[in-house]
This record gives sequence, structure tokens and C-alpha cells, in this order.
Amino acid sequence: MATPVFFGVRHLSPGAAYSVIKELDKLHPDIVLIEGPSDLNDEMKWFCHPETKLPAAILAYTQETPIHTLLYPFAEYSPEYQAILWAHQHNIPCRFMDLPSNVFLAINEKTSENTEDKNNDEQGDTTELVYKKLEDLLGESHDTFWERNFEQSEENYMEAAKEFGKQLRETATDSPYRTAENSVREAYMKRVIMQAEKEGFEKIFCVCGAFHVEGLQNNEPMSNTDENNLPKVSAKATLMPYSYYRLSQLSGYGAGNDAPAYFEILWESMCQKNIEQTTYRYLTELAVNQRKQGHITSSAEVIEAARLAQTLAKMRNSKYPVLQDLRDAAITCMGHGTFSEISVSTASVEIGTKIGALPEGVSRTSIQDDFYRQLKELNLEKYRSVEAQQLDLDLRENLRVKSEKSAFMDLNRSFFLHRLRVLNVGFGTLLKSKQTQANWGEYWSLRWIPETEIEIVEAALLGETVESAASFSLKERADKSTDISQAAEVFEDAFLCGMPQAAKYALSAIQTLSVDTAAIVEISKTAEHLSTVIRYGDLRKFPPEPIISLLSQLFLRACLTLEEACNCDDEASKQVMESIDRINKIQLNHEFLEENRLIDVLTSVSDRDDLNTKCSGFAMATLIERGLVEESLLAVEVSRRLSKGVPADLAAGWFEGLAKKNRYSLIIRLSLWKQLDSYLQNLDDEEFKRALVFLRRAFADFSSNEKSNISENLGEIWGVEPEQAADILMRSITEA
Amino acid sequence: MQNVQRLPAEELFKNEIEALIAAEKDNIPTGWKMSPKSVLTYICGGEVNGTKITPKYIGNRRLVEICIATLVTDRALLLIGEPGTAKSWLSEHLTAAINGDSTKVVQGTAGTTEEHIRYSWNYAMLIAKGPCPEAMVKSPIYNAMESGAIARVEEISRCASEVQDALISILSEKRIAVPELGAEVPAQKGFSVIATANTRDKGVNDMSAALKRRFNIVVLPAPTSIESEMEIVETRVRQLSSSLDLYSETPNNDVIEQVVTIFRELRNGVTLDGKQKLKTTSGVLSTAEAISLLTNSMALAGSFGSGQIEPRDLAAALQGAVIKDEDKDNISWKEYLENVMKKRGSEWRPLYNACKELN
Repeated sequence: MATPVFFGVRHLSPGAAYSVIKELDKLHPDIVLIEGPSDLNDEMKWFCHPETKLPAAILAYTQETPIHTLLYPFAEYSPEYQAILWAHQHNIPCRFMDLPSNVFLAINEKTSENTEDKNNDEQGDTTELVYKKLEDLLGESHDTFWERNFEQSEENYMEAAKEFGKQLRETATDSPYRTAENSVREAYMKRVIMQAEKEGFEKIFCVCGAFHVEGLQNNEPMSNTDENNLPKVSAKATLMPYSYYRLSQLSGYGAGNDAPAYFEILWESMCQKNIEQTTYRYLTELAVNQRKQGHITSSAEVIEAARLAQTLAKMRNSKYPVLQDLRDAAITCMGHGTFSEISVSTASVEIGTKIGALPEGVSRTSIQDDFYRQLKELNLEKYRSVEAQQLDLDLRENLRVKSEKSAFMDLNRSFFLHRLRVLNVGFGTLLKSKQTQANWGEYWSLRWIPETEIEIVEAALLGETVESAASFSLKERADKSTDISQAAEVFEDAFLCGMPQAAKYALSAIQTLSVDTAAIVEISKTAEHLSTVIRYGDLRKFPPEPIISLLSQLFLRACLTLEEACNCDDEASKQVMESIDRINKIQLNHEFLEENRLIDVLTSVSDRDDLNTKCSGFAMATLIERGLVEESLLAVEVSRRLSKGVPADLAAGWFEGLAKKNRYSLIIRLSLWKQLDSYLQNLDDEEFKRALVFLRRAFADFSSNEKSNISENLGEIWGVEPEQAADILMRSITEA
Repeated sequence: MQNVQRLPAEELFKNEIEALIAAEKDNIPTGWKMSPKSVLTYICGGEVNGTKITPKYIGNRRLVEICIATLVTDRALLLIGEPGTAKSWLSEHLTAAINGDSTKVVQGTAGTTEEHIRYSWNYAMLIAKGPCPEAMVKSPIYNAMESGAIARVEEISRCASEVQDALISILSEKRIAVPELGAEVPAQKGFSVIATANTRDKGVNDMSAALKRRFNIVVLPAPTSIESEMEIVETRVRQLSSSLDLYSETPNNDVIEQVVTIFRELRNGVTLDGKQKLKTTSGVLSTAEAISLLTNSMALAGSFGSGQIEPRDLAAALQGAVIKDEDKDNISWKEYLENVMKKRGSEWRPLYNACKELN
């Protein structure tokens, strides 16, 4: 045989995994080389450990901030994993041949320094462009194209993938940076292959990305000097359990796939040499899930879906239906035309909840390292004991120290502890604040128990560092929140954690939810909250711009719905009044909110007779407070609202609303009390009794000082001694 | 023929259909005039032996594939969608391509009876001759069964439920019994039914589960991208204005874009960039409405204005289209004006001001 053999694969492709095994069985090489970090050969043995369950991933990460990570996820149907297993079973050596992880990370670090947006470069633009063109041409997604043309070919996978990789190389012109990276990688891989040849291996079998086959065949190997010149950083690597859910979230070629559980079905069907079975398994599992959800799904529907899927596949010239065909058929036949009806079931059949497992002690995750590093950096190591210790933080900038790091030490500690709290790592417990007038103090109780370590490892699935995990968890919570107050909580957490990005995400969730929940109470509460953050955010170094625009929106919405909300019963009026008060305060605090809009609404509420009179009264009081009501207007309103024809409860309710605010300015207006007096004089006995009940309630929460002031007023009107009147007013009511 | 107000699809696109049949290479299902792939080309456009095939349905090609595949598996097809999403249009063209005959139609109304679905009698002849095949008046569906063609049922959810139920036995047994003649007519191969139903009519006469089960259901969405929607609007507005003598210039691209943008955003409840959620309105705001809004504005501009669509012509029409259910829609519209339109910059300013004036 021509040595070495290059098997070009797509990572995470069951078709490739199946063909790799077949090819290995046929050729029986004496060494297997695999595209993967060559310094991590030791980790391979864990893949073959009987306790290991896939999915699992190799994670490499830098040890200094900012942390860069490199992730190699493997699933049961990864061709690389199957090749490793095969080598293990046949007792032949198996090695990784790609750049060592510390070199890779060094390269990544350089990239993020050089280009503003690292993501852009990582996702690649031009190879993606070729995929995009292919998609436009076929009217199908690239994944579907691949599945139709490669996964189903039981023969010739190797040639087909090789040809695809070759043509991709010819068509795509990647950014110079990526091309350079690829040629460095290929040169290095070639070097490892040559080394194996030198060692005397004769039948070498290489598993690499289809894209690299051409390069590995033709390029020159890397020279010794070049190898010495490769950049390096200090890095660590670990195996970690992975989940199908996380796998499905990594998008793009090679990194993950959208439907891991479906591909597992495909893989198992292939191993049983019965690809057709995939159709039936997928659809019946979907039906079972649908029934669990409470939908009625008949077997007839499953049969129709299978027939439709097969017809669709034929129209596209493929032998078996692919995922897209199956899903479309399921939507048509089982979902009655709408995807939403089967979306929950598809998520569990296509993505699944499988989580990998590793033997104990293998995993040393980056988040653990990150945690200990920060613990040291923030001088918190002494708190790592079973005994609970208290930590008082002063979030203000410490002006007595020189370095910025120590100036904000307490603030950074607070961020760190809040992030752990968000991750449900029970290291620190937030104690109640002792401050009443200020909010720069924070009080924690810190305690370390063995469970804490486990909780941190669990958080590893959310992200590679404490910060990224916290941000992921916040994002998830923001997505899950169903009402605006939940989203506001997420926002608050993000604010406390010092994570503006996550906060921004939570803000957009609030925006989304505020459209659905029009309740004035929630909107005003949320707005109040945002207002606080705008005013005091700089304590935590928080940029206010995105909040301002949302606050304006909430304010506008509140103004538009306020009038309608005032049409409520007495029960709800209390909350509505509180909301009016909040919105009023918010407007006073922020000049950018349109004052006139609020005043117009308040005036209208105050003028209208058909709304809850308490609210109308309160709106009037708010306007008085703003100095917008003339004495004469007040007099007219009082006499109109308190005229004889108005039912006693409504009149007293209006007065109650009016008296909720700025009592002092009401008390000193003698004319007001005269009006009230003449109103009461005019009532007959029956009406008076009713009015009394409501008025008593209106005055219930006046302080005794205020009451005596009123009595002075009344005394003056009635010509009674002020003290005498006060005495009567203050006397507690006895049963009589 | 030239004075006919509207020709059936198979007449209008006769040469396209003939070209496709002439160039046929794939297998043709029994009773069909062309292969499923050619039907797809006919609907979605393309080129065959130098004849250009105009696209009839601008939208998701995959949906059309599902429709055709459904008919290949001899299942009945139910097209569901908001008003104005080209359901009838698609069903007409499907039958035109598959059978070369789109005229076997039953229009579903509150007055449709079971006889319209099955058969009725020519009573004069029935009395004269007694029950005999000549006295029978066959429904379009009966005819389709006999000839192995596809029948269309429009607006099926507007029919009373007993009329809908008459379809069940036809679709499951694939035969129709005529007890008066002691005969039973089996459907020929190729027979199927395409029905359309309106989502806004849900609950008028809800379809029974038994009937639904006999259909493969395809939901036709509103146009997915703004470009395709603008294309549809522009094409239709130009066609309409040339036939209606509106004395106004056809609206330029900016105007169309603004109208389509507003419609799309309010319809989907989110701004085009996806950054901001909006309150939706109670109206449908379909593409068809956008088209009629623009032709209306053209009529306004042509008859009472400058002959060119101005913001104030648009504003009144927009307000009318958006605000259907007074209070709720009003709030949505005002919010939209303030939160979205006002912040869009100078090109939107005139329209914003015109709309604001009306409020």
C-alpha cells in the first residue's frame, strides 16, 4: 500500500466514523495518527477507560488572564474517537499530530491582540462564503448538503470527502491569517508523520479534516528551526465531561453539530447496517415524545410522515431521508403544519440530554484553575476554611493606595463573589446591608466546604472561566424569564457581577417582556430600578447608555397606559398610585424623560370623572407638588369633587388620594378645609354616616402632629379653641 | 378570449407548461402531466430549453417541495395561512401544472352543500327519466375522481361541518357511492384534493380531527425577507396601476420599502434588526394589504394630490390599515411612531411628521 494513508473526515460525522473503522479493518495499519494537540497524547488513554462515557472534550487553556481556551469535543460517533478506540483494541500506537495546545493557544492569543473582533476571524469568512454559495445554489443548509451526500454513502466516503476538501481548497481563499495558520498546522502534522516514518512505522494511517488532506500530501514538513520558533504560552489541559446540549450550541464546521442525538441514532443505525432504520426511529421517538407532551399522535401520522420524508428525499435524489426531510415531514404530518407544535419534542429527539462521564479525578477544569487564581489575586485565600468568616467590603475607590488594582480590590471581590452566587456556588453568602443612607458597603459571610468544589466543577459546563460561566448562566436565566420582574432580577445580578454584556442582554429581555406585560405596576417598578442603576451605576463602573434608552421606552409605555390603568377598583388603586408616584420621581430624576408627556397624562387623569377617584386625587396631588395647580383651580376642583351629588365614597376617595402627598401644603391651605367643611355641612345624616367612614380612612395615616394642625384649621373655621378641637380629634374611639 | 377578465393559469402560462412537458426526462406519476421536479420548476421558476419559466410563488422553495411530495404520495393537501399569503394562487398553479386543469374548484361558503362535494340531479330529467347517469350533475370532485385528477376546495373552513364531513369518506375510501343508481365510482389513480383554509377564520367552522388527519398540512408564511416582499409588492403594484389608470407615478423604491418595513415590523412584532420587540396590531397587515394601500395612495395622489405619492397620502392610508380595533391598535401605533419611526433618521422624518399630525 502507498504509505501513509490520509483519511479526510468531517469532525463529528457518523458516516466518517463508520468508514474509518471499515478502512482500518481493511488496511490494518501499524500506527494511527489523529488531528489533535500532539502534547496531549496522554489524555487518549482516558477515552478508552471503561468508565468513560462520551460526549467528552479535551480542554486546553492558558493560565494567565485573559484566558483563552481550546476545545476538542468528541462524541460516540466522532471518527477520531472511533480511530482511537480501534487502535486501543488492536494494541497499536495512536498519536495526535496537530500543533501542541500551548502553541495553538499562543496563536489564538496573538490573533485576539491583532484583530479587533476575534470571533470574526475564528468563524472564518471565506470558507463560510463558499458554504453560503453552496447553500444558495442548492436551497439547502450546508449540514443538510453534507448529510445527503456524505453521511449516506456507505462506500467511497474517503474519496468523496477527499475530493470535497480538495475543491474547497481550490475555491476558498481564506483570510491570509487563516491560510497561514493552516499551512503552519499542516507543516507540523507532516513533520509528525515523517517522524513516524523515521521511527520505522510502515503502514501509517492519518485521520484529519478533509480540508487538510491535500495539504498533508503535498506540503513540506516543518523544519527544526521553524518548530523552535513556534510561539508558546504556558497552558494546561484537561478532559472534561461534555453534554449533547453544549455540543449542539457550538456551531460552525468541525466544532459541533446541531443535532447530536439524531446523529447518534444515525450512527447506531449504520453500525447495524440499516440506515433506513434512522427514519423510523427518529419519527417514532418523536411521536412518543409528542404523546408525552399530551398531543395526540397516531401511528397513521407517523406512517404518513415516513412516506412523505421518503418522497422528499427522492425529489432531492438522495437514498434515505436526511434530518431536514424528516423534520419537514414531521411538521407537515405530526405538527399539522406548524413547527411550534413539535418543537419541544424535536429538541429532545435531535439534541437530547446526554451528558458524558469520566473516571474520578481525571477532570481538572479551567474554571477550577480560574477560581483558585482569582482567590489568590483577590487575597481571599484565607477565607478558604470550613469555618464561616465575615468579610466587609467598601466598594468605593480606595484613594490611599497607588495601584489601580488595589484601589478597586473590594469592588473586584464583590464582582467575584456575586458571580459565584449567580453560579450557585455556595462559597459566599450575602448578608443584609447595615447601611441605610448609602450603598457602598457590602457584607459577606464566606465558608468553604467540599461541596463547593463540586459546585465549581459543575459550573465548568457553563463556561471555561468564572466570568464566562456566570455570563452564560445569566443569559440562560434571561431567556427563561417570563415576566419583567424576573428579567429585572437578572439585570440586577449582571449589574452586581459587573458584567455589562450580560446586563445588556438582560435589558433586551426586559424590553421584549415589557411589550407583553403592560401592567403599570411592574413597568414602574422596573423603571425605578433602572433609574437607580443610572444614578448610582458609576460606583460599580457601569455604563449607563443602554439603560437610558430602555428607561425612555418604559417611561413612554407607562405614560401611554397610565390613564387606562387608573380605571381600576379600590383594591388596585393603591398600587396604581404607588406607580404614579414612582414614575413621577423617575421623571424628576432624569431630564431626558419628557416632562410634558407625563404632565399631560396626569392632568387628564386628574380631570376625568370616570376613573378611580383616588387615582384622580393622587394625580392632582402630584401636580400640586410640581407647582402646576393654581389656588383657584384647586378650589374649583375641591368643590366639584366634593359636591352633594357625588356619592360619598367617591368624594372621600378623591380626598384620600389628594391627601396622600405633600400634606403640609394641603394643611396650610385654609380654603381647602373650608370647602371640606361646607361639604360635610350639606350632607344629610345618612350621607354623613357614609362619608364619615371613608373620610376616617382618608385621615387614618396622618400623624398626630398633622392631625393637630388640621384641628387648628378646623378650630379656626368653627371658631373653637384649637386645643379643644385637637383633644377631641386625638381621643381614641370608644364603643358607644 | 382577449376580453375575458381573468384567464385560468393553464391558459395564461400555456407555453411554459408545454415547454416543460416537451423537455421532460424524469418519471411521471400516473395521472400527472409532468414529473414532480418539473412542477417545482413551474412554480418556483427557472429555465427549460431556452424557455424562461417565470416564478409563480416567490417564497420558501422547500414548502413547495413538501406540497408536491404530498401529492405524489396521493395524500390530500391542506394549505393554511393568513389572508393574502397566496394559498389559492399556489393551489391553482399546482393543479395547472400537474393536470393542466385548474378549474375543478369547489368554493367553500356558508351556503355550500353536500351536493356540491358529491353530486346532484337535473330534476327535470330526473322526473322525466328517473335516476340515470344522464340526469346526474357531477361535482368537480366527482369529475376529478373519474378522471384521476386533482380537485380544489377553497376556504374549506367556511363550509358547515356536515359538508366538510362529506369529504372524509371520499378521502379515506377513495370512492363515491351513488345508491340511486346502485353504483360505486372508484377514484382513478392520480386523484387528490388541495384544500385551502384561512387562519383568521379559525373557529368559524373548525375542521374535525378526523378530516384534518386526512390532509398533510402546509402553513404558508408571510414573505420571509423584506427583499422578497418588496419584490412581490412592486411587481403587483406595477401590474395593477397599468390596468387601473391611476394618473399617478408608481411609487419609488423608498416608499415601497417604508411601507413594507412598517407592515413587516408591526406584523412580526419586532423591528427588522431584531433588536426591539413591538406590540402587534389586531389587523393582518398582509402583503396584499400593502399592495392595496399603495394603489390607494396612488389614487389619492393622482386624483387630489400632486400625482406623486407624498407622506400625507401615505399617512392616512397607513393609519387606516394599522388601526382596526381602536384603543389597542392606537397604543401600538403611537408607540411604534415614537419608539421606532422617530428614531429612524431624516428619510423617515416626513412620514413620521405626517403620521404624528393625524394623531
